[in-house]
Amino acid sequence: MKTVEELTSFYYSSLYKSLEKFEEKRKKLRFKIIFVLFIIFWNMAIVYFFFFYNKANSTDFLTFFLVAFFILSSFLFKYFKRDYRNEFKEKIIKPLIKELEPNLNYSANLHIQKKDFINSLLFEKPDKFNGNDFILGQIDSTKIQFSDVHAQKRYKDSKGRTKYLTLFQGLFIIADFNKNFQGRTIILPDFAQNAFGDFIGSWLQSKNQAREELVKMDNPDFEKEFVVYSNDQIEARYILSHSLMENLLKFKKKTKHDISISFVQNNIYLAINYDKDLFEPTVFKSLLNEEITKEYIDTLVLALSIVEQLKLNERLWSRKEPINS
Amino acid sequence: MTTTLILLAILVLILVLMYNSLVNKKNQVENIFASVDTQLKKRHDLIPNLIASVKQYMAHEKSLLESVTSLRTKSIKHNLDEREVISLDDKMSSALGSLMIAVEAYPELKANENIMQLQSSLNEVEEQIQASRRAYNQAVTDYNNALEMIPTNFIAKAMSYEKKSLFEIKESQKENINVKELFDN
Repeated sequence: MKTVEELTSFYYSSLYKSLEKFEEKRKKLRFKIIFVLFIIFWNMAIVYFFFFYNKANSTDFLTFFLVAFFILSSFLFKYFKRDYRNEFKEKIIKPLIKELEPNLNYSANLHIQKKDFINSLLFEKPDKFNGNDFILGQIDSTKIQFSDVHAQKRYKDSKGRTKYLTLFQGLFIIADFNKNFQGRTIILPDFAQNAFGDFIGSWLQSKNQAREELVKMDNPDFEKEFVVYSNDQIEARYILSHSLMENLLKFKKKTKHDISISFVQNNIYLAINYDKDLFEPTVFKSLLNEEITKEYIDTLVLALSIVEQLKLNERLWSRKEPINS
Repeated sequence: MTTTLILLAILVLILVLMYNSLVNKKNQVENIFASVDTQLKKRHDLIPNLIASVKQYMAHEKSLLESVTSLRTKSIKHNLDEREVISLDDKMSSALGSLMIAVEAYPELKANENIMQLQSSLNEVEEQIQASRRAYNQAVTDYNNALEMIPTNFIAKAMSYEKKSLFEIKESQKENINVKELFDN
């Protein structure tokens, strides 16, 4: 696997030419979008001022026009962007992934399966589930797959309107774990202990009905960052050895986002909460911008680094080969 | 009259809750101790096999092998209390640890697939024992806390509950035993 530096230099040397082409396309696209939206806005404004401005309920019409404009423009934005986005993923993101690790497969429009997401037990069952940028492969003896995921739950607000609440948006990773286990162990970010202090926080956690038994871990730093639930006190500690706890803490520090982890059916599930769609080309910012490049590369390297960081390839135990599911 | 009754009922309820939480903690300790025991038995089952496989090569380590065997004999006795089990486990872990280090000095052993496999099972059992020790320690800590903290300490005294001892977890054991590293040296 390549390092961040190697990948960055590959990005600027081999992909720079196509990147410059995309930058031209981006500018054209930006002009097109702004131009079309401006025309629509202008026409709507004229219609509004000519026919509705002096009416008694003019503010209602104004709201209507603004909402209509907003919906139409977001639809057009997606429509205009589609080809540009697909081509960008094919010509930039795909080669980047191949360079990072040749035996990884990339598919821009697929995502982690909904059933795998539900199997992780990390979140409630989503009503709306989509994603993209699916990556699947094997690093040494560890199978790994990840993708962008957006999972939402339907609910009715106080006025009875159907709305969607985001359960999770970010990177969802599934990898083969190096120890055998039967139970379910769930690790979530610790909000209660941070908000209410150790004593009340841990009492509140032990009363969480939606989860299984609370497992208190013997690493104070780990306890501060995470809360662990499991149906087996001993197995949870078998999985979470002292070294794994340390490594998860290090990983958490690197990601700078909330992470949830679960161990179910010999897999490790990792959900990194970015709250946005990743690996997307920008429209209003330059593609040559260093920060954007850095984000693509860092996210990719980070997702694959779990294999090394959590030592998933170290198979000292009876579990030698990944089990085909 | 009614207020006194209500107050009395509340008092009884609190006492019952405290009593139940103490019993709950005591049983949790016992449950987990039973699993520790199961794991220790698993290890005991591996030992005869291991000894038989290494004996012919390790003539110089006779005393070490003997001490492992005698520890095993001691620990499969039935009527051991928790303290004894804990101290025997401690001795056994360190004896097996030194045995594994001794194995390093024998190239024939390193190449033996049977022994490699035994070592890997032993490692797994060691990890599981380690996990159950930690679970046991947490259960005992919760139990001991209840014994010392107000207000459960009064009831615990009345029930004549006694504090329980913990497994000692050594710094060296916090690291995973890495067979590969042992062999690469």
